[in-house]
Amino acid sequence: MRVVGGILAALSAVAALVLAGGGSGGTASAQDGERQVFTVGYWQDVDSMNVTVGVTVAAYEAWNIQYATLTDKSAKDFSVSPGLAESWEGSDDGKTWTYKLRPNLKWSDGKPLTAEDIAYTVNRSRKEEWINHSATVANLTAKAIDPTTVEIKSSVPDPKLPVMDVYIVPKHVFQRYDENAILKYDAQDGVGSGPYVLEEFKKGQFIRFRANPHYWRGEPPLRAVVIRNFNNAETMVAALRRGEIDAAHGVTGAAYDRLKGDDGIEVVEGNQGAFQEFALNGGDGLKKGHPALSDPLVRQAIAHAIDKQTLVDRVEGGHAEVADTIAPSANPEWMPELSDDEKYAFDLERANQLLDQGGYRDTDGDGVREMPGGGQPLRMRYAVRSESPVSQPNAEFITGWLRDIGIATTQRTYDDGQLTEVIGKGDYDMFVWGWVPFVDPDPLLSYFTCSQVSSDPDNPTDYYNDANWCDPGYDRLYKQQNVELDRARRIEIVHEMLKRFARTGVYDALYTYPDLQAYRTDRFEGFVRQPEGIGPVLFSNTSPTYASLKPLSEDAGAAGTVAADSDGGGIGTGAIVGIAALALALAAAAWWVVMRRRTADERE
Amino acid sequence: MSSVAVASARRIAWLRRRRAIAGAWSQYRRSRPGMIGLTVLALFVAMALAAPLLADESGLRAVNVIGNEPWSSPADFAPLGTDRLGRSIWTQVVWGSRTSLLVGLAATVLAALIGMTVGIVAGFYGRRAGALLMRLTEWFLVIPFLPLAIVLAAVLGPSIRNIILVIGITSWPSMARLVRAQVLTLKERLYVDRSRALGASRAHLMARHILPGVSGLILASTTLTVPVAILSETTLSFLGFGDPSRPSWGKMLEEAFAQGALTEEAWWWYVPPGVCIVLVVLAFTLVGRALEEILDPRLRERST
Amino acid sequence: MSTRIVLGKLLGSLATLAFVVVFNFFLFRVVEQDPVANLFRGRNLSDAQRDELTREFGLDGSKLEQFWSYIQQTVGLNFGRSYVTNQPVIEEIADKAPATIALVGVSAVLSAVFGILIGVLAAWRRGSKRDYAATTLTMTTYSMPDFWLGMLLLTLFAVVLGWFPVGGISDPNAPDAGIGKLLDHGEHLVLPALTLTVAYLGEYALVMRSSLIETMREDYLVLARAKGLRDTLVRNRHAVPNALLPVVTLAAINFGLVLSGAIAVETIFSWPGLGLATYEALQGPDLPMLQGLFLVFSASVILFNLLADLVYVALDPRVRVS
Repeated sequence: MRVVGGILAALSAVAALVLAGGGSGGTASAQDGERQVFTVGYWQDVDSMNVTVGVTVAAYEAWNIQYATLTDKSAKDFSVSPGLAESWEGSDDGKTWTYKLRPNLKWSDGKPLTAEDIAYTVNRSRKEEWINHSATVANLTAKAIDPTTVEIKSSVPDPKLPVMDVYIVPKHVFQRYDENAILKYDAQDGVGSGPYVLEEFKKGQFIRFRANPHYWRGEPPLRAVVIRNFNNAETMVAALRRGEIDAAHGVTGAAYDRLKGDDGIEVVEGNQGAFQEFALNGGDGLKKGHPALSDPLVRQAIAHAIDKQTLVDRVEGGHAEVADTIAPSANPEWMPELSDDEKYAFDLERANQLLDQGGYRDTDGDGVREMPGGGQPLRMRYAVRSESPVSQPNAEFITGWLRDIGIATTQRTYDDGQLTEVIGKGDYDMFVWGWVPFVDPDPLLSYFTCSQVSSDPDNPTDYYNDANWCDPGYDRLYKQQNVELDRARRIEIVHEMLKRFARTGVYDALYTYPDLQAYRTDRFEGFVRQPEGIGPVLFSNTSPTYASLKPLSEDAGAAGTVAADSDGGGIGTGAIVGIAALALALAAAAWWVVMRRRTADERE
Repeated sequence: MSSVAVASARRIAWLRRRRAIAGAWSQYRRSRPGMIGLTVLALFVAMALAAPLLADESGLRAVNVIGNEPWSSPADFAPLGTDRLGRSIWTQVVWGSRTSLLVGLAATVLAALIGMTVGIVAGFYGRRAGALLMRLTEWFLVIPFLPLAIVLAAVLGPSIRNIILVIGITSWPSMARLVRAQVLTLKERLYVDRSRALGASRAHLMARHILPGVSGLILASTTLTVPVAILSETTLSFLGFGDPSRPSWGKMLEEAFAQGALTEEAWWWYVPPGVCIVLVVLAFTLVGRALEEILDPRLRERST
Repeated sequence: MSTRIVLGKLLGSLATLAFVVVFNFFLFRVVEQDPVANLFRGRNLSDAQRDELTREFGLDGSKLEQFWSYIQQTVGLNFGRSYVTNQPVIEEIADKAPATIALVGVSAVLSAVFGILIGVLAAWRRGSKRDYAATTLTMTTYSMPDFWLGMLLLTLFAVVLGWFPVGGISDPNAPDAGIGKLLDHGEHLVLPALTLTVAYLGEYALVMRSSLIETMREDYLVLARAKGLRDTLVRNRHAVPNALLPVVTLAAINFGLVLSGAIAVETIFSWPGLGLATYEALQGPDLPMLQGLFLVFSASVILFNLLADLVYVALDPRVRVS
């Protein structure tokens, strides 16, 4: 037995020696006291750094950090302000705008940022219909007059100009990829024009950005910014309290209430018009949903069976507001007020009545209604999102009410990427999802036009109309507001569109909810709400906080260190050996103790 | 004359069996852990059967408990508090016992049937067929349980029937191996040879002589497989492959974790189902080990 | 140990591996409807790209041709690309394996060592209070779902007391070399390793205990005691080594389960190893990733079973079967 103990002890010694000399030899330098890396946690993943491909909220935040835009939006009220362009002039007919760029602009890799990049971005994104650009540039052509002057012409009167908030991409990088190759480009080379640019991308774990010395506002005071991914919203909050991260986005209602009482943590309820909707398969895509869903009567019955106030109270912990139409903008004046008879009030009796009227009876007594004439039972496929903390609770309630009106559901769970494809293929009946709108209502409104319905079976994710609903009347109104320069008139048109859409019952807006965020007050300062007073401090429309974030002046930081080129989430062999050494040492000690005991055993 | 002889032969066999069972029972009674295990089991089975009396089933649905205050501790909402959506924990524990016990027992029975058949046939037919079957068994033993179960659950869909199937299919190999070893031993016994000499068919041999000989082993080993099945169901539910329409202890743990019970310090949500699982698993283990001591002929010589 | 035995066992293992590879094909190809479209979820594919990929993955042939290209790819360790990250599966696996090996390796060693020690202590004092307590305790911990134990430990030590991190393998801002890095990883390792150790030491304790009890009846021990040898010596020099044999086999087999054993625990602690990768691959489902993981897990089990067999044959003088 001495042999075993001896072997264990020897192994530990060797391992300890290896570890003392080993480690992956990085160039880490710790700066005492100064906090220079800001870490924010979120539970959704950045799907891609490539602006032509990504669609998630997290990706937008990453792009806000890495790319500057021609014009910026003020933090106060989204009003247009200088970005890469320091001034602009419009022609008399409002269709041509000339922008003057700041002098000596550079990309983070030192290459000059000129009007060529602007023109290239606008023209190429329009031609290739980049999903995150096309709503803005669909009618635009751009021309570089000289290195600091770019002219943008619209073919129709455009109420959105002079706002040009699409991400400007580096021509010298993007031109290496043709139309097909650009979709496979991972955009992880960190060439950008924003305050910080990508340094390391570890999908599912974290993304780190380093300061961009060529940022037009000047090199930012922090060394790096990290977006850290959590697969559980609650562990994220625990990490915030422990100090592992400096801020958290997407905090749940219950955690928000608890954090309110914490000293040293500031909570933010940021309103951006984000909303959740209950969507049915409208039937205009690649596949129809359950036949009953094509009957407006059934859709109305379903709309009456949902108690939105309960969802607000129970699922969002009161941190939300019932919505009657989708919210196309962070600005609430774009949403119409519905009268009581325009709304679908929660009324299970009415819902049952409507279904009885329509002939959907339960002929075999199993609690589930069938199609008129006793055909297919009303059994629907309900898709649940694995990535959202509120998807399962919402499902619990909604499927419960549906059961009370005789509609059975089978749940299937998907991650967001998979669900996007399922919706595109039409292989579903209902789901709950949401949107975070932009400032101008046009982009979000465009998503529900007929041309956005999924139509190519070989590319089932190339669409935005996840209602699978095509309404020529809606399209007509969309075109009208797209060129309406009179703001009051434009608002009227949009209101009509939204009421029309809500009436169909195909896309039932449930509630608008604020972004619940929290940040530590003992480390950094410079958090900016957008819009002022009511918006979130991070993950907002242009995320102005990153430009102004800096360490707290009188910080006597605890464990602040600087992360250099680390392999972050990985674990080096040195570490494994070292840890194993520790464990073996423990084991050896225990073995020795037990096997060597003399006292008690002597007596037998 | 002959009919009387046959009748009494049967009766003798019957009496002998009854005496053996009675003997086994009194031996079992002497094992304290065995009795504790049995009592605990009886309590849980009673809970499962009496579920409608103990808790209102409608309380399992969130839409029916809108009056309840969510996240209530047991102090505020007897007897075990409520979860994030206001559902009573007690109701879920009581009704969840049905699922956990049902899956545990049904999956084990399935595994036992398959394992027993394979084991007996493999042991009996020896040589080629036997070796082939054992190869097959070994292959199934090699495939790591959890990944296989998960993949099958993902492919087949999460329903209670599929879960039982999945666990049953992945648990039979160990039983088959044990049974085969026992069959091989039994084959050597004298009475088998005698029966063969008398012209008994293989089927008769398997049913009348081998089967009773291994039944004790099977009973003990089956009882010890139930804990594995229950823990497997718990793990599968936790990973999201349980039947979403039924309450189960594993599903409670999954929801508690996903909905933040840990950081809300709502211990009443995840401690009770865990404790129940531990108790049921422990009970089956104790009963199984006690049975093993009595029924497994190899263990009979060494008693603790 | 004769070469014939070794060779025989090796061939047997290879046969099993072959079976698993074939099984893998049917299992996943049954599920996958359109592998090419699935490969580029969220991205648009032109017809030209589609054709090229179909050819690249050999998906334009009959089922038999597909099977053959699958075999070729598997042998070449080409498991395709992850749907989620679009990186080669084999790279993802290689990237995440060290974390799991570290966690489960350490836990396996610790649970074996402590389990054996407890088993020895319990058996030597069979029937005493110490035995009773040890056996009850280990049976109880062994009856716990491992992730539930993890939840309890996480709540107590990370959330309430704040002594350890709530998850992950490292702090992205921690130093990346030397003692600092080691301490950071070590700190994150404590709770998950503790969970797995406590959850699985019961098996070792119980097996060791029964094995030791059986061994203690052996004649040669009686003889040693009769000779007047001190008890601890008898125990440590004679009984325990012989009783260790079944435990060693058990340990070897458990090491094989190393890679697949920690799915639920890794999920609880957000430990970025193969277990968490499996859990996340299931959310999609990310089929190429699942297929690759499945194969790797099975291969690891086969390998360690083979080792266990060989170790058993080498160590036990009584077993020399052909």
